Amino acid sequence: MLQVSNVVVKLPSGKRLVDGVSFSVGRGEFVSILGSSGAGKSLTLRCIVGLTRPTSGEIRLTDPGGKVYCTTNVNALELRRARRHIGLIFQGSNLVKRLTVLENVMLGRLGHIHPLRSWFIGFTDAEAREAMEALDRVNMTAYAARLAGSLSGGEMQRVSIARAIYQKPLIYLADEPISSLDPRNAEAIMSILQPLSRETPVIGAFHQPAVVARYCTRVLGIRAGQIFYDGAPLLSAHQLERIYGDLNGEAFSTPSDADAQPVHFEPGLHAALHRSMTGGLPI
Amino acid sequence: MGSLDTSLERQELPLVQWKNGKAAQRRRRSAAILTVVALTLLSAWRCNVDLQAFVTGIGKGGSLLELFFPPDWSSLPDMLQPLAVTAVMALIATLLGMCLSLPCALLASSNLSPKPLRLAMRSFIALERGLPEIVQMLLLVAIFGLGAIPGLIALSVSSIGMLAKLLADAIEEIEPHMLEAVEATGASRSQVIRYAIVPQIVPALLANGLFRFEFNVRAGVILGAVGAGGIGYIMMAAMNSLNYQRACVATLLTFALVFGSERISDFFRARIFGAEAVR
Repeated sequence: MLQVSNVVVKLPSGKRLVDGVSFSVGRGEFVSILGSSGAGKSLTLRCIVGLTRPTSGEIRLTDPGGKVYCTTNVNALELRRARRHIGLIFQGSNLVKRLTVLENVMLGRLGHIHPLRSWFIGFTDAEAREAMEALDRVNMTAYAARLAGSLSGGEMQRVSIARAIYQKPLIYLADEPISSLDPRNAEAIMSILQPLSRETPVIGAFHQPAVVARYCTRVLGIRAGQIFYDGAPLLSAHQLERIYGDLNGEAFSTPSDADAQPVHFEPGLHAALHRSMTGGLPI
Repeated sequence: MGSLDTSLERQELPLVQWKNGKAAQRRRRSAAILTVVALTLLSAWRCNVDLQAFVTGIGKGGSLLELFFPPDWSSLPDMLQPLAVTAVMALIATLLGMCLSLPCALLASSNLSPKPLRLAMRSFIALERGLPEIVQMLLLVAIFGLGAIPGLIALSVSSIGMLAKLLADAIEEIEPHMLEAVEATGASRSQVIRYAIVPQIVPALLANGLFRFEFNVRAGVILGAVGAGGIGYIMMAAMNSLNYQRACVATLLTFALVFGSERISDFFRARIFGAEAVR
């Protein structure tokens, strides 16, 4: 169970990139965060794993035994302990290019390994065997001995999922896992993530409402650092427009502005927008 | 018509700006060439460069060269040991330099090290690089006396200076996403270094280390002449005692050593990077 409460990320200039984001994610959920570029999707995910320290707010991860791990207001050691339980899947190039695929998977559990063992002994055979099982789940066992740098984008993304699986986390975070992939590879990645989410919740940032509607169980709509949609993954044209802005020109107005102004309803435009965002599906 | 005129204007102005830019570039280039020629002539005049001495020197050189032949091959056995001293000195200095440059590079790279420490380390390795080996050698001979040890230290120190700079630059080029992804698994700083940084910079370390080995062989010969022993000292001694035929053997051996070290370094480079292409 992940609880994000009132997280704020403020620039020194006072601009709020993430502005009071709160939500919680539990068992069986596949949550998608939708929003235009710069809305605060990735930043929220970075806060959860502690790569960006929020200005204020709290992030708590609770395991089934009731143990709590925080990634906010903790020292480096506690942060590392919490990170062991968060499986992060970055967009694209997060693999160490000059290590083999298998080694890249085994990096997933570095948090459980003593640094002295890392320097003087390395990974054990038992770990390698387990990592192979993780690679098997993404159909990449044949590539185990290849250098990660020699893989294609879709293959890299599978390996980085295998790394997260091998980590046995309490939650998966996926930062735009399919943004750089062709539609076919994107579907393949989504159909790996979906069954995973039944055992362990997955939170992902996406740009494809049509794909999200088919695979996810819940959508968080984020705009200008604020969540203003939290609900079913099937979004109406009107809801999509509120997330991505009115294509008529005020694309980046703040949500409060959008609320205050009467919505210019143009059926033709909305239909076109809806088609482009749902891939023509009759949603 | 009006709209046509404005569209022409819109294209005309940038074109004129581009032409002006090209003309300015041409002017700058001719100014640079003129300056270099003028400075060369000026310095030649100020330093009393005498072409006469050059021409007579060439003639004298020819008759001196005759004294080198035939080489005195009977001195060959005595020279093998000094030759080995020079080779081993270069080899050990390179290995020491490669090992010690790694921690220096970690401390000198902007993505790992805090700014004050980084600046201190950067200046330290710049100093190591900036002091010519021969200057270091003169200082070190005063401390340790004559022999291979001061030569070894001088070569190691300047090897660290060069390799640490190149490695630090290689570390700074590593994509931050890659480091963050490893960090996000809960890995400690030292584990990030072990698994995300070291594998990425090993090729740079080996390639530059091999180049440095070639350089250290050549520099080791020179350091030998100023007190580090080895083949450089033998050559120097033979020249000073006007035993040119002996000096000839030493010169040929030096050539063989330098050429051999380049071949070895090429061989390993091809193996390392050839293997990489296959994988």
